[in-house]
Amino acid sequence: MALAIKRISSIPKQQLAALSVPLTKKYQIRGNATQVSAPPPQTKTKFGNLSDQDRIFTNLYGRHDWRLKGALKRGDWYKTKEILEKGVDWILNEMKASGLRGRGGAGFPTGMKWSFMNKPSDGRPKYLVVNADEGEPGTCKDREIMRHDPHKLIEGCLIAGRAMGARAAYIYIRGEFYNEASNMQIAIAEAYQAGLIGKNACNSGYDFDVFMHRGAGAYICGEETALIESLEGKQGKPRLKPPFPADVGVFGCPTTVSNVETVAVAPTICRRGGVWFASFGRTRNSGTKLFNISGHVNNPCTVEEEMSIPLKELIERHCGGVRGGWDNLLGIIPGGSSTPIIPKDVCSEAIMDFDGLVACQTSLGTAAIIVMDKSTDVIKAIARLIAFYKHESCGQCTPCREGVSWMNKVMTRFVTGNARPEEIDMLWEVSKQIEGHSICALGDGAAWPVQGLIRHFRPEIENRMKEFKKREALEN
Amino acid sequence: MASTPAKRIIQQVRPILSVDRDEAKRRVLSLYKAWFRTIPFILHKFDIPKNEEQCRAKLREEFLKNKDVTDVRVIDMLVIKGQMELKEVTMQWKQKGHVMNYWKETVEPKPQDFLSKFLSGN
Amino acid sequence: MLRVPLTRAVLAQSQRAGVLATSKRMQSKAPEKVEVFIDDQPVMVLPGTTVLQAAAQVGIEIPRFCYHERLAVAGNCRMCLVEVEKSPKPVAACAMPVMKGWRIKTNSEMTRRAREGVMEFLLANHPLDCPICDQGGECDLQDQAMSFGSDRSRFTDIDHAGKRAVEDKDIGPLIKTTMTRCIHCTRCIRFASEVAGVDDLGTTGRGNDMQVGTYVEKLFLSEISGNVIDLCPVGALTNKPYSFVARPWEIRRIDSIDVLDALGSNITVNTRTGEVLRILPRENEDINEEWLSDKSRFACDGLKRQRLITPMLRKPDGELEAVEWETALIGVAQAVKNAGSKVAAVAGSFVDAEQLVAVKDLLNRLGSELLCTEQKFPTSDGLSGIDFRSNYLLNSSIAACEDADLVLLVGTNPRYEAPLLNTRLRKGYVHKELDVAVIGPQIDLSYRHEHLGSNASIIQDIVSGKHPFAKRLKSAKRPLIIVGANALSRNDGKAFLSSLHSFANQLKPENSDWKVWNVLQTNASQVAALDIGYKPGVDEVIAAGPKVLFLLGADNEAINKDNIPKDCFVVYLGHHGDNGAPLSHAILPGAAYTEKQATYVNTEGRAQQTLIAITPPGMAREDWKIIRALSEVIGTSLPYDNLDEIRDRLEDIAPHLVRYGRLEENNFFAQAEQLAKSQSVAFQGEIDVKQKSLADFYMTDSITRASPTMAKCVQAIKKGQGRAYTY
Repeated sequence: MALAIKRISSIPKQQLAALSVPLTKKYQIRGNATQVSAPPPQTKTKFGNLSDQDRIFTNLYGRHDWRLKGALKRGDWYKTKEILEKGVDWILNEMKASGLRGRGGAGFPTGMKWSFMNKPSDGRPKYLVVNADEGEPGTCKDREIMRHDPHKLIEGCLIAGRAMGARAAYIYIRGEFYNEASNMQIAIAEAYQAGLIGKNACNSGYDFDVFMHRGAGAYICGEETALIESLEGKQGKPRLKPPFPADVGVFGCPTTVSNVETVAVAPTICRRGGVWFASFGRTRNSGTKLFNISGHVNNPCTVEEEMSIPLKELIERHCGGVRGGWDNLLGIIPGGSSTPIIPKDVCSEAIMDFDGLVACQTSLGTAAIIVMDKSTDVIKAIARLIAFYKHESCGQCTPCREGVSWMNKVMTRFVTGNARPEEIDMLWEVSKQIEGHSICALGDGAAWPVQGLIRHFRPEIENRMKEFKKREALEN
Repeated sequence: MASTPAKRIIQQVRPILSVDRDEAKRRVLSLYKAWFRTIPFILHKFDIPKNEEQCRAKLREEFLKNKDVTDVRVIDMLVIKGQMELKEVTMQWKQKGHVMNYWKETVEPKPQDFLSKFLSGN
Repeated sequence: MLRVPLTRAVLAQSQRAGVLATSKRMQSKAPEKVEVFIDDQPVMVLPGTTVLQAAAQVGIEIPRFCYHERLAVAGNCRMCLVEVEKSPKPVAACAMPVMKGWRIKTNSEMTRRAREGVMEFLLANHPLDCPICDQGGECDLQDQAMSFGSDRSRFTDIDHAGKRAVEDKDIGPLIKTTMTRCIHCTRCIRFASEVAGVDDLGTTGRGNDMQVGTYVEKLFLSEISGNVIDLCPVGALTNKPYSFVARPWEIRRIDSIDVLDALGSNITVNTRTGEVLRILPRENEDINEEWLSDKSRFACDGLKRQRLITPMLRKPDGELEAVEWETALIGVAQAVKNAGSKVAAVAGSFVDAEQLVAVKDLLNRLGSELLCTEQKFPTSDGLSGIDFRSNYLLNSSIAACEDADLVLLVGTNPRYEAPLLNTRLRKGYVHKELDVAVIGPQIDLSYRHEHLGSNASIIQDIVSGKHPFAKRLKSAKRPLIIVGANALSRNDGKAFLSSLHSFANQLKPENSDWKVWNVLQTNASQVAALDIGYKPGVDEVIAAGPKVLFLLGADNEAINKDNIPKDCFVVYLGHHGDNGAPLSHAILPGAAYTEKQATYVNTEGRAQQTLIAITPPGMAREDWKIIRALSEVIGTSLPYDNLDEIRDRLEDIAPHLVRYGRLEENNFFAQAEQLAKSQSVAFQGEIDVKQKSLADFYMTDSITRASPTMAKCVQAIKKGQGRAYTY
């Protein structure tokens, strides 16, 4: 599911506070790192229509060879040694300059996250863990990377690992991704054979291993601490934070968990420069991004586009529009199943980046856009999502374990209308009681779709209850 | 020294029934006789497991308990109480168990030394 | 096997140093206190203190279910959520270390709403069967629902889908489970894996279907399993023998001391209408923390069975006949008078100090010095033996055992001989740098240890420095040698004592009062008996051929029909008709430890007293009073009539016996060694321990042998031994 369930609100505040780097200030770098050039002021006003030469994932659709030979042809592993030799600070600087924010859902600035690892070692090895447990319903970007462009990820691991001084990278891949895992494994083997990773990776004098670990298909294992537990061979249940993985992570060592897409774009950023990457999208939302559009569109697809592209334009340009025209649109879930749904009038204005969607009371998440036209039973759709979360809740902490199953019970009845209108308010309160009270963000992710539904589709729920009453009265 | 004023007080107090010891004695004796004569009736009415002999002995014992009382007023009081008891018995306000109470040891002396305490379980 | 990994050590360290503060600079400085505000009250705490602990310092208790001081933090019940100013979300107080200047609000709107929400969720699937729940009245969920919950339910789904129901588990004859009531706090799981060291409990399933259980159908096999009953905040795990017996408000609670092992765990005896219903642990950091072994907790039903309730005398035809006290005392007194000075006494394992002193005084007045304990301890010729207290005590104290870095166990299995000492050692092993090596049979101590072998000659090798382990012991900073009392009671016990004691003295670290030499006693009366001057072992008594022999609850068959003279008049003084009683010609029924105010000295030399919870059954009397009464009948009255007077006598003999709760410092190690050194050392044979597996643990003495619950435990284990998923 990647980190979709980790939202901006769950950014570890303490971590920020401890570093005294307020989020609002533009990237100010701490300590030893050299000053980065400030992000370019906002000059662009139109976003979207990414040109082909600016695409990072050039084999997204698997039309070319995914193996090492093809990857080399596409420019992967080009001058990797030189990048490595430029040093940790340079890589971190480029990442910070690029303004890349984590692609797993929470959108935490990647450069800063990686620099947390860059402190004097206390003897413990450091690890990079790549979160390839893409389980968020609607999301299908990481699998495309791993299936068709695995070398981008491996190279990314090497560069990211170098940036944080990691000894090895673990790619925790979702159990259901059989083909992806198989391609990935082959690519890793190729990279080892070519001397690109392993001892003295790329002749840089730096030792770096990449291991792949297949999960068993639990959604919760995409949460970073649950992923770490699972990687250690325990039940995939999120850990308490603090301590954060950067302090005590996998096997008790400092660890950074990053999404596949985040890691895979790193080599290209280093090659083409952070400023190039930052030139796309609005300030603080820069870069290109893989958007996954599914549902009632004429041409569902995964596409790399510029950040900050308007939602409507994205759908019209790449997906051939909503089935039956824009006016047939009911609502869109813009960032994977855990983000609140937005109705058509909001969709027309929405801008697909972190800040743009927060303004719409939803979230970019993994940019997995689920489009629903008017034929959709939206209550049933959300009820199905809640059933999913109920099934995937790990059961560790009370609000999520009890609350989500309660919401599921209520939502099931809402589908038929067998409920009283007061229960809508109750459901809202129950969702508020879950939100922010659980150990990880799964509780939040389960609460938001319900909140989105009640926020925008309350009359529909009430109508259904009235109809149910009427039917019941007729039957008796 | 102290006895003189005390005596005076005694002499001055109002009598209950009897003015002097002789009168008090008469009253005691008549109460005794009354009880004595009632004994067969008591045995008949209450069906207690005692015979006349034992009852007389108990009656005598109860009277002798107070043989050392000299204060006329106290004697009178005891006589009144005795008459009340008698009435309760003859009117059968008392029941069998109450009558049998005259034979019951009410106070058992508390053991004082270690061994008797030990044996009695304290 | 869990050994707390680096992670927790590092975690503790990093918490101390603040979450991300680069540690090097911080570590060199002593941790500075930081100021935080709890409900606007300022409080100075060490960095790394959790919010919950900080609040406790100003006397504010934050509600919790999963948090427990002695277990790892789980943070999963979310009941302890509190608002921290400027934080958008409430934080879990049990897990969150405080930061400088935090303003914590334990009673704000946000905090109260969070609590109410969590409470509502907990109750949503809780059966609310309080009227038929044994936890009712002492239930955390009940109490906290009253104080922090909402006053009405809005769980409308009770009319539709209903509540979750979970099948009950059979985890043994001690713990009754009603898993529907479980709120998944995982305290029991953490206790089992951290303290008890058996990973039997765990969770299966996910989300609302998560269940706490034993994975497969098996027993929860631990010698301290009963503690999960106390830990369980709801009625999911309750006391099986006590089920449906009483409500907590009907119960009288009397503080007392446990005597079923030599540790003297602090207990609370719960009684109603003159009957001991259950025994609970009482907190004592120096001894049992807040745990209690299963034997001490569940053997209390043995106090109601097989009791001697009336004095008895053996008729000429060989039958024991119930008689009055007077008759019995006269009968015994006659025998004693006829015996002259050929009177002896043997003390068993439950004898209190008062009785020991009374018997000793009586026999001394009769001109006899034949006073022994059942259990042997090396004494003979010149060997100091029991002359110095330090020879037979657990000198380092129970609490200090967890601070040791290398422990050598000789001929003892602390897991079953003293379960709570074993949890201490395990604590040191898990949380600190403690390593354990064992000389004796292969045993499972619930933590990893080195098995050096079972031949006694290994001790010789270690003492002489030949064995590689000797080097490790010498380099250890705080080594411990713990020798089992049963090993010392062997025929070559002398060799154990002299060689290991002087070796232990060599290991003593310079300039520290760390004590290396430790003896783990196995019965509660031994230390007091040796303190008072009883001789260990019955050999002397047997050799003397007494005419009258007092058995003071001596049931371990050191004395039997064959080793005493035929004409010996045996008087049994005790509370259970166990092995000693059938030998006897007179039986004088005494009081068990719950029925008297009596002094016991535990294996570390700490005197503690039991209090009277109930009266002795039938005609049984407090033991020292029996002796006092007998002395009067014999004609040599002992000069004390009440408890205070006999305690004065105790103080005259050994002042530490009445300094309750205090631990006396032991010295004279060097002198003891001097005396011990002169001994020749000769080891022979293999070292064995009596209690090797859990089945051996439950029935070891007269009380536990009379306990149906203990019998059920043994039965359950024996039954389970053939099954697939067991031990």
